[in-house]
This record gives sequence, C-alpha cells and structure tokens, in this order.
Amino acid sequence: MPNSRTALQQTRIVDLSDDKSIYGVKLLADMGADTVRPEISAGDLLRQRGPFDDNSGDSLWYTFFASSRRHFTVDENSSASLYELNALLGCADLCFVGKENVLAEKVNLDAARSRNPKLVVVDVSPFGSTGPWRDFKAPDLVASALGGSSGVTGDHYTPPLKLFGELNFMISGAYAATAALAGLNHARESGEGQRIEVPVHECIASSLEHVFMWYFHHEQFPNARAPALERRGSLHWTNLYVVMPTKNGQMMVTPTPNMEAQLAWLVEEGAFQDLLDPKYEELENRRQYFARLMEVLREWVATEDSEELFRKAQERHAPYGWVQTVADVAKNPQLEARSWWDSLRLGDRNLPSPGVPFQFSDTPGSVVESEWLATNGSSVLEEIGWEA
Amino acid sequence: MRPLNGIRILDFTHVLAGPFCTRLLADMGADVVKINTKMRAAANNAPNSPYYAIWNRNKRALALNMSEDEGKDVARSLANQADVVIDNFSIGILDRWGIGFDEVCKTNDQVIYVQMSGMGAGGPWSDFVTYAPTIHALAGLTYTTGVQDGGPIGVGFSYNDHQAGLHAAVAILAGIEARRQTGKGQQIDLAQFEVGAAMIGVSLLDYFANGKVAQPCGNRPPYDKFAPHGCYACRPEGDDILDERWLAIVCRNEDEWQALCHVMGNPDWCRGEAFKTMDARCENAEALDSHINSWTKERDATTLMYALQEKGVPAGNVQTGIDLAESDPQLRAHEFIRFMEEPHPGLGVTFADRLPIYFEKTPCDTYERSRTLGEDNVSVLADWLGMSEHDVRSGEENGYLT
Repeated sequence: MPNSRTALQQTRIVDLSDDKSIYGVKLLADMGADTVRPEISAGDLLRQRGPFDDNSGDSLWYTFFASSRRHFTVDENSSASLYELNALLGCADLCFVGKENVLAEKVNLDAARSRNPKLVVVDVSPFGSTGPWRDFKAPDLVASALGGSSGVTGDHYTPPLKLFGELNFMISGAYAATAALAGLNHARESGEGQRIEVPVHECIASSLEHVFMWYFHHEQFPNARAPALERRGSLHWTNLYVVMPTKNGQMMVTPTPNMEAQLAWLVEEGAFQDLLDPKYEELENRRQYFARLMEVLREWVATEDSEELFRKAQERHAPYGWVQTVADVAKNPQLEARSWWDSLRLGDRNLPSPGVPFQFSDTPGSVVESEWLATNGSSVLEEIGWEA
Repeated sequence: MRPLNGIRILDFTHVLAGPFCTRLLADMGADVVKINTKMRAAANNAPNSPYYAIWNRNKRALALNMSEDEGKDVARSLANQADVVIDNFSIGILDRWGIGFDEVCKTNDQVIYVQMSGMGAGGPWSDFVTYAPTIHALAGLTYTTGVQDGGPIGVGFSYNDHQAGLHAAVAILAGIEARRQTGKGQQIDLAQFEVGAAMIGVSLLDYFANGKVAQPCGNRPPYDKFAPHGCYACRPEGDDILDERWLAIVCRNEDEWQALCHVMGNPDWCRGEAFKTMDARCENAEALDSHINSWTKERDATTLMYALQEKGVPAGNVQTGIDLAESDPQLRAHEFIRFMEEPHPGLGVTFADRLPIYFEKTPCDTYERSRTLGEDNVSVLADWLGMSEHDVRSGEENGYLT
C-alpha cells in the first residue's frame, strides 16, 4: 500500500521494468507512489536473482529492488487477464517498460496512450530503439564495457573491471526516475503524456566524470600523456586521491582541498621529511612537490591506526575516507543516528533494510514491504481502486 | 517546450554532485541560476576550468558576493522567487548567510529547499568533509569493486557524485509533485553518504539476512551463477596499457553458451564434462576463462563483438574515452557528443555529452555553453527581481555583484 502523506501518493505507476530500470521505480515507490508490479504466471524472472535469504529462500535482490509495491499475477496467455492489465494503463500516470520484462511485450501501449493521453511511458533499453547497436544484448558487464565505466576501473595488473553488483543499472534506474518525474511534471501542467526513451549505454557514458573532459581538454592537464586515462587502481585522475594502507586497514587519502593544512599537519606529526625544502616553492617544481607529498603521506599513513587517523583527519576537515566493508556500513554510527534504516519482514523475521536516500521534511518516504493482491489480473482494477 | 520550463532554481552548488543535479534540470528546461563569486572562482569552481564548463552548461551565471550585506539581500530576494533552492555545502553555511530554509520559508512557503551535504543534517559525522572518493570508501564501494586478494581498487571515477546528483534531481521533482498536491514546499535533506550506502543495498540485506560480507569478485557476478562472465584480452594495438583491447563476454543461459561455442568453432574442450552445464561452467570458471582467453588473445575485439552479438551472445568492447568520443557508432548515430555553437570565452570550442533522455513531445536538444562569472547578472536580476541594468551595473561597481 502507498505510504500515508508521501511525496508521490497521487502518482500511479504500472511497473513493467526489467533490471535496467527497476531501481528507478523503487525510488518512486519508496516515496509513496502507488505502484503495481504485475508478474507472469511462472513468477517474475527477477525473483531468480541472488543472493537469497538462507531461511525463507526469498530473493534478497528482489526484496531490495521491488520494495513498496503491490504485486499480482497476470496469465500472459489469457486475453481477459491481459485486457485487465491494459485497462490498468488507462488509469496510470506512469508506466515503466523494459525489454526483458515479458509483460512489457504483451501490453498494448499505443492503445493505452490513446485511451489515456496523460500517460507517461518510460522505456529503458540497452541502446534505445534506433542506431546500429539497438538490438545488441547488454547485461551489466557488457553495458559497463561499452559504456566506458570498465575502461577506467581496475588496475594495470587486473583486467578492466565492472563496478560491483548493480551499480551500472542503478545509474540507468536513477535516470529513468528523473525522466519519469520530468515527464509527469509536463503531463500535470499540460495534460500531455508522452513516450520517453532512456538508453542505458548513454546513461553510463554520461556519468564518467572526467572521461570526456580528458579527451577534449587533456592538453590543459600537466599529467596527461594521451586523450584517455588508463585504468589506475584507486588513483584519481587528479593524482591527489588514492587508497593507502594504514597499520591495520586501508584509507582513501587526499591532501585536498587545503594543501597547506595537510602540510601543517605533517609538520605537527613530525612526518614532513623534505617537504619544507625551498625548492618546492618554485612554480616549476609544484608537480614534483605534489608527487613527493603523496609519497610522504603514504609512508606516514602506513604507521597510523585507521580509526584514529580518520578521526584526526575529519577533525581537521580533511576528506579522508576509511575503507569500509559492508559489515562496517551496516554498523555505521551516522546511518544509525539519522535513523536511515527501515525494516522489512523476510519469512518470519524482521530485518533492517537500507532506507530512502533523501529525507523530506513534510512527506517522508520509507521502504515498505511489497504485498500480494488477493485477486489475480482479472479483477485487479477493482481491488486496487484505480479509476480513470 | 521542454518538460521543466517555468521552474526557477537558485543554485549554490559547487564541484560535481550539485552541479550535475542542476545540469540535468537545466537540460530539461528549468531556469537555473548558478551563483558564483570572484572570491571562490578557483580550481574546479573557476568558470574557465573545463571541469566547471562541463557541469554548468545550460545555466545562467550570477555573481554574488555573500560577504557583503547587499549580496545577502539579493540572495534573499532571489530565494523568494525560486521554486528550488539547492546547495551542497556543509550543513549550516546558507543559514549563516540568512537564507537557510527556516528563513526562506517564512516568505516563500512554496520553496523546495535541498541540501545535499556529504553526511546530512544531524548525527556524529554531520560535519565531516567528503568528496566522491571519500564516500566510495565509507559506503563500501571501494572495498567491493576489485579482485579477490588484490586490495581495494574501487570505482575509477566519481560515481557517487553522479548518483547523488541524479538522486537530488529525483527528490526535487518529487518535491514539486508533492507541492502540487499539498500547496506547500518543503526541505529535503540528501546525504551523499546515504546515496552511496543505498548502492550496496542488496549486499546490506545479504549481511543482515545471512551474515555474509560481500567480497570483491572481479568481473564475476557476486551473487548469480553465470559463466563465462568476464573481460578477455584481445589482440592489442600496441605496447601501452591504452593499446590493450578487451572484450566482455557473458552467457546467462544455454542458448548463449551454445552460440558462443558455435562462434568459437565448437572446439573440443567446449563439449567436455567440465563445461557441460551452467553449474559446471561456474565451478570451472577459471579454466573456462583460460580457454576463452586463448581464443580471444590473437583476435580483433571489435570483429569478435559483432560476430558474437550477431549470434545472440552478449559481448562488448571495453571502450576508452577515445573510443567513446571517436568511434562508437551508437553514440555517433545519436549525436551524443555535440559542440557548443558559441565559443567559450576562456576555453574556445566546448562540447556537450547529451542528456540521455529522449522525450517524444518535449525534446531536450538545447545545449548552451557554460557562462563566465556574472555573465548573466543583468538578465537574471531583470527577470527574477525586475532590477534595471543601471542598478545591476552599480552593484557590480560596488562589489556585491562580483
């Protein structure tokens, strides 16, 4: 059921997304959009995605990505059932479709849009509906390779790496949510719905921070040797952020944004080595100085305790980042203090669940358990209470 | 007509996460007024820096010296006219300028007021300073992206800044929809750290449900049984690491596996017991990768990609920035890279990578170069506050519009 007094409680969504945009639907559903996700008789294929709860056998992937929705079964071979699904679209504000959702191929979107001209359809696919690669298959790893995120991730001793888990499709998901709400804004203002395409390939390519800047403006950067940067481990394109080993862990260390303060700290610690050499004050030696500074930092950081170093850095407003595992994140005091976690029921247990990544002062969202509608597709419209 | 025409955004953001959010909204037609000041216009916040130019296209530039009382007065007046006020400073800066949410909402109860600080308001880490690499480390992204026993590598670009920007855009548009229903604006507190933590949501659930701590796994899927699933070295184009060519190949079912075998010429090893089923292939993934590497290493990556895709096998070149900018036929067909018509005064010709959202009825095809410091003082202050050019020039001379 939709949360009470939420930002999107007046927004109705039919969710026929696949893994490329399901995260976007989640964002909207967790903000209270009244979201239904129909499933084929054999069950949503995404329920087969791991990991699984060792107790209940439920897909944790699905529990996370398909939160805050109402589910029902549609017999994809029954015309009555599909008729009802199409009727739902006549009452919806938004519909997300993805190529790998079987039901997205079964609905008649053109007819639905004729009946419901305000309907906004968000179609997220690997490459869009035009162009030479439009029929290419691109699961996460392939999308990551072609989109450019793998090309800059990894180290010289590894292959190019894909980002962990679903990070690539969470980008296209977030773009899909943005597109949907922009389309909804236009529909509310003008009464005009529309179809919106979101190609995953371009979503990834547009989220690569420095990559295109480096290509077009690399001559402005003293450390550039080519219009592309190789994969270089944790070393940032500026050469001023990198993960360094501490005495008992790993720390992302940077002397930015206040280089003088970092030097003063090293002096205070007696770890400055030759950094006060007047030669480094010469403009032509600045690059050499930055490289030396990172070397000195590496030697010093290796002698420090992670937790203590992180605390001292942040007290000095130095943006060091202590490399944390998932277990560490689960116990993080900041997330706890901000009551970020929600709770979900899995089998017979209540478990903490990652919360909504924005807090609204008046219309807070929350991750709520999805529920099954009592009826199947043939009477779902009546049960959910949607009217055109 | 673009989908966000008519929405006014007062933009105090800097670096990447905030400017990326407001760039998205500007690309979709919102009137985004980017505030900058001579005193802070350095490094990545300098309008002549390529970094700044990329994230601030399609916005108007207003120079405002917030150390002057008159500058703060102008900011307050602008906030009264805004649909959205947004910043990504540490918590409290805008309050000190007298344009915090509590002040602004007294005279503009319609405002959507977004603070996208690193850690959010409240909590023991609220004052912590973060950039994307900091968030990646703290949120588990650095630890998990890498190879087994290889030490933390992490994402090779500021991923979380883009995600925080996208999430802020979603939150703002949801706030506007809520305002349409309630008649009131509100405050939105977006912690970039919480966005980062949400990115490993599945792994967090796995930890809470099963006590398992996600480990880096290279290009293998962390939770699903798919093999092959990797990046394979192909014939290099030279000796430099940038000359390496790699091909990602994934088989998620028997059909894709059989098609791969077919393209490889059905070698004997494909029919062995070790690779007969998906379970077996996962069990023997290292040996499988070795066989595939032997096949790819002397071959051209692009030729293989097309051959595999034609037979239904998901495969893709690992593209560098050069590939994306010069030879990606899909991006070319969609005119993904465009050049700004008007040269940038400091940078000359600048480019735009287009918004990857294709609206059927409200296309977003307008791309205008980023503006120099205070370049739009006159037009912004006339449009938003009805100020005359004479008064604006006088403010510039007196230093509060600089």
